[in-house]
Amino acid sequence: MPAIRVQDLSHSYGHYQVLRQVTLEISQGTCYTLLGANGSGKTTLLRILATLLRPTSGRIEILGRDGVTDKTLIRRSLLFLAHGSHLYEELNALENLQFALALRGLFPTPRQLKLVLDRVGIGAFASMKVRHYSAGMKKRLSFAKAMLAAPDILLLDEPFTALDHSGVELVQDYIREVLNRNGTILMSTHDPEKARVVSQQVGLLRQGTLHPWTWRQKDAS
Amino acid sequence: MFRHVVQWVVWKDLLTEFRSRETLSSMLFFALIVIFIFSFSFSMNQQAAQELIAGIIWVAFAFTGMIGLGKSFSAELQNDCLEYLQGSPAAKGAIYAGKVAANFMFMLIVEIILFPLFVIFFNLDVIEQISLLLLIFFLATFGLSAVGTLFSALTVQIRAREVMLPILLLPLVVPVMIAAVEATKGALNGDPLPMYQQWLELLAIFNVVFTVVSFWLFDFIIDA
Repeated sequence: MPAIRVQDLSHSYGHYQVLRQVTLEISQGTCYTLLGANGSGKTTLLRILATLLRPTSGRIEILGRDGVTDKTLIRRSLLFLAHGSHLYEELNALENLQFALALRGLFPTPRQLKLVLDRVGIGAFASMKVRHYSAGMKKRLSFAKAMLAAPDILLLDEPFTALDHSGVELVQDYIREVLNRNGTILMSTHDPEKARVVSQQVGLLRQGTLHPWTWRQKDAS
Repeated sequence: MFRHVVQWVVWKDLLTEFRSRETLSSMLFFALIVIFIFSFSFSMNQQAAQELIAGIIWVAFAFTGMIGLGKSFSAELQNDCLEYLQGSPAAKGAIYAGKVAANFMFMLIVEIILFPLFVIFFNLDVIEQISLLLLIFFLATFGLSAVGTLFSALTVQIRAREVMLPILLLPLVVPVMIAAVEATKGALNGDPLPMYQQWLELLAIFNVVFTVVSFWLFDFIIDA
């Protein structure tokens, strides 16, 4: 059973068709990279898979569950790290993590929170309000949330944006760790070089149509 | 799990507000202006003020509450936090219940601060009726926050949400407003409870019906 199965998926915003007959299968324990220019439909596809958008037509299955009727079950096993940080500016890092994880029914101990914040490199700023954080620190905090949530499927929208070199390495290490425990990752990026280190499959979205690619094709282009 | 989510949503909203003081300060500021304008308008005519005071109180409370309700979900737009609430596996009813509880607390805090000002500015004698008045405030404020929270979620993605919220919400809460004004008037006049008990019953029925309906509808609205 594939972790993610997308069949003939189309989506339109009004008259503008963003996705056209997208078909895709991602096996468990695989990292799939989605490439494409701005406006090619990458974020829309991720939002549909995260059950935040209902597709105009077509079908999605996450771990064998229907993307329209089994939303709650899917949401338990999936985490979407979107372009927006999903963080509350008036709360500090610890409070943001506690709140976000509580909504998933997880209640980590203070020691677990401290360990994960140290791992993502913001342990010294754990009590600082997020509104004082830089974009890179917010990104690291989002990954701390993913580390504690440990979802079966991780959807990443531009995971390397705003990160410095050590941040990129941290994310790459974390992706390898997820794959080692048979987790599945689908990420969109404008930075294929950072993604190819950890990604086994790659696809190119062009004007809403998905073209399966190989890294060799990418090099040739 | 349900109870935990309710508690965490309340905790998050209260903590955020405690730190930013954005909602409470704007609610209080607006309400103080209303009190001052009305108190100066009726300074020459205490008789008219006594007859209209229940309406004035609820105009101030309702419009002040509207400010808080409007911010309840618009605050979630920053950093796309609303998206996280939508996509989380938590029961959406629990998120609704948490939001209602937080809005109810904000509105009640403002009312508790404002009411003594009404007593002073309009020379009200409320000592004997205070428990009944608190019961009326409690019931009517709960009704406003139960329906208002739903409409706050409904209008949050609309560009003109500050305008749309009162336009959609106020007609629906007319029964709450009428019942609250009539019951408050009865209590302030020192009438015996049976004379305005039916208004309290109306408030209780409204609360039960609209809370159940809003709780059920919230799932669809937040996912839409």
